[in-house]
Amino acid sequence: MISLELSEQQKQIKEMTHWFAEHEIRPIALEADKLGKVPDDWLHQVNQMGIHLNTSSFGGGGKETSQGKKKKEREGNRMGVIATEEMAWGDPAVTLSLPGAGLGGPPIESSGTPEQKERFLSIFTNDKPRWGAYALTEPEAGSDASGVKTTAIKVNDGYILNGQKIFITNGARASWVVVFATVDPKLGRAGQRAFVVEKGTPGFTCTKLVKKMGLRANETAELLLEDCFVPTENLLGGEKLYETSESKPSGFQVAMKTFDSTRPIVAAMAIGIARAAYEYTLNIVRREYPKQGKYYYLACQILAEAEQNIQAARLLTWEAAWMADLGIANAKEAAMCKAYAGQMALDVCSKSLELLGPTGLDGHLVEKLFRDVKVFDIFEGTNEIQHLVIARRQYAPYGLRV
Amino acid sequence: MISFHPTEEELAFLEVAKDFAKKKIRKVARTGEVNLKVNEELVEEARELGFLSLELPEEWNGLELPLISQVQIMKALSYGDLGIVQGLPSAGDAAPFYRIMHNYSQLQSVKEKYMDQPDYCSVLIDLCKTSDFATTELVVKRKGNNYELNGMTEPVRLARFAESVVLFAFDQEGQAVILLVQDNKWTVQEGDYRLGLLASGLGRLVFENCVVPANQVIVTGNDAEKIMKKVRTRKFVLEAAKQNGLMEAALDYTTQYTTERKAFGQEIAKFQGVSFKIAKMAMETRIVNHLMFEAALKADEDSQSAYGLALRALHRAHKGVRFVTDAAVQLLGGHGFIQEFPVEKWMRDAQAQVALYGRESNYLLERGTELLTSEGRVSVE
Ligand SMILES: Cc1cc2nc3c(=O)[nH]c(=O)nc-3n(C[C@H](O)[C@H](O)[C@H](O)COP(=O)(O)OP(=O)(O)OC[C@H]3O[C@@H](n4cnc5c(N)ncnc54)[C@H](O)[C@@H]3O)c2cc1C
Repeated sequence: MISLELSEQQKQIKEMTHWFAEHEIRPIALEADKLGKVPDDWLHQVNQMGIHLNTSSFGGGGKETSQGKKKKEREGNRMGVIATEEMAWGDPAVTLSLPGAGLGGPPIESSGTPEQKERFLSIFTNDKPRWGAYALTEPEAGSDASGVKTTAIKVNDGYILNGQKIFITNGARASWVVVFATVDPKLGRAGQRAFVVEKGTPGFTCTKLVKKMGLRANETAELLLEDCFVPTENLLGGEKLYETSESKPSGFQVAMKTFDSTRPIVAAMAIGIARAAYEYTLNIVRREYPKQGKYYYLACQILAEAEQNIQAARLLTWEAAWMADLGIANAKEAAMCKAYAGQMALDVCSKSLELLGPTGLDGHLVEKLFRDVKVFDIFEGTNEIQHLVIARRQYAPYGLRV
Repeated sequence: MISFHPTEEELAFLEVAKDFAKKKIRKVARTGEVNLKVNEELVEEARELGFLSLELPEEWNGLELPLISQVQIMKALSYGDLGIVQGLPSAGDAAPFYRIMHNYSQLQSVKEKYMDQPDYCSVLIDLCKTSDFATTELVVKRKGNNYELNGMTEPVRLARFAESVVLFAFDQEGQAVILLVQDNKWTVQEGDYRLGLLASGLGRLVFENCVVPANQVIVTGNDAEKIMKKVRTRKFVLEAAKQNGLMEAALDYTTQYTTERKAFGQEIAKFQGVSFKIAKMAMETRIVNHLMFEAALKADEDSQSAYGLALRALHRAHKGVRFVTDAAVQLLGGHGFIQEFPVEKWMRDAQAQVALYGRESNYLLERGTELLTSEGRVSVE
């Protein structure tokens, strides 16, 4: 039956995360932006409360089940997008800095061996905040992920990695980073492998933290791998995975597969940001705008359009997450929600600034949201790449590859 | 729980509707335009399949389906051709009114008609839309217990076939009133229509000293206004669904066309200017679908928020259907412009449809006013 009602569990998670966003995240948003980092003691505190950023839902909703209640419909992806929307509403940079596996979680969940999952995902405990990260992008390989140049040379018991990764979210603080490298550049995509490189591994260093337009409180790192030895047991999925079929599974597929669950999450964050800007502006317009005349009408139109676009993005996102929960192929829908939400959210922030006028430049949350939101149309695949994915799926039934 | 799966029953109904749309409706689209009406054979089939009475109450021999089911079916039918769907003689835009008011004794005469004649044609004239002004005027005056009508309506669909008219109006004192007018107490000014929806019986109704007796005054005052709002809610959602069907048709047709057409030595779909436009069309089509679903679900719950969501859905459907049908013509190039291909008709129909069903920017204004004065959150109820 078609329904847009939240389940009891979804309602609870929405309320909880909203409460947390409102009372814990939002109050430090502007300060963290100014500091260029989320205060350590704050991170310690929330980690002790057990609050993590979880972007992977391959195993269903959080820690529930595994035994009993077999028939229960999986709702982890829906819960994920509902929760992240609320958190990002509080503040996206703080949200992305929350301890947890972050974007490194999905490849491990989807492709790791049981032993790897246990080893890498069980470290996120309450004693001290820890992070995971995901390193695909290189100076010469962004949208075209098949162009990865970092090499992995097979040696006894492992691989030697050499190369550079850029723009890696939480890359310096991460306890481990999923690094994509190639065993033979001539093999193209088929030569790609994913490795889990642990912090402190000799030859693995952070060379720089970049300064950004927005998301300033969230760390973006450049990483260098110089003759960095990684043991075979850190090859994601193990060597067996790549032996089973010559051409099929590769690091490239590992990288791509994660997008189907992370793009809705990124879309949900963009929606949270847009909503924050919209609600903030709505309150000010209600309080300070004239109740009739040209400016009133202008505000009515801008706000109505913003509200509509936010909901449109949200429904696309819910659909993509719902499909992921049911195991229905959702690459097209995941790209749709990401493409639409990313652009929509920037538009809402910029229109909100229009309504606030010059005053909006001076210490108002919306200007920060505007700076933060732009990258949501860039990372996890640019807007153009999402269009490409949608178009490819749209043409697939006609047997044409575009 | 969030879900986008239709029920088994809906799926079964949809299969029939889709088949009917492709094999029957699409086939007669052009001849309908030329003949300025839908051929009788098709009407008969639509009637037998129940498509003319989805909204009508069961007591009136209708199917009384929930709106969420109806929107899926109307979308599927309009995928065939919007012009034909809008020309199917039926209770039309008055259907939601009959559904809501089905046990009002004054509507007995209409009920009797529909009991065995679902293609009996009704027209809804809404003179109270707060967000619109008309360039022509129809004056409604209360005279004792009767009302007198003088003037002409704006063009409406099904005017040429109308047998009953439901009129939403304000009288000279500003009081809302809903009237039923029957017995052909009007004439139809047919006019010169060329843009689109040509099979839909477009025309203006002209009333001259037309007296509506007290027994055909259905409701007045606050009650009338409440009913009008509910009727508009359902109407907006149903129209959004039809427009979405047209969008989907244009999207599918254009997707296929661009895989076959070649230029500069390759399929034009391989140019990003083309494929990205297709991607945008796909997104817009999906968005209208979802906003329309949400409004339908809320209307089924009789929620307070339904009217606003219906405004929102129809606004987006207007914008969306204009964008997608224009993009379709554009992507077919010169072929898009000529009548051997369906897309030029679809673009014309889309533009006529949005002209008939309310001004886009006014919907936005009305919705904005609602947001500024109410809770205004993008919340989940
Ligand atoms: C704050 C931040 C955090 C990030 N976090 C991470 C992270 O944690 N891990 C990680 O691996 N990466 C991360 N990234 C990198 C991000 O994913 C890439 O920047 C992004 O994928 C784009 O790659 P690029 O910068 O090389 O741009 P390019 O690929 O050089 O793109 C430049 C332009 O060309 C367009 N373009 C490229 N190819 C096509 C095509 N085929 N068709 C049409 N247009 C095309 C693009 O859309 C874009 O407009 C992050 C980036 C930022 C800014």
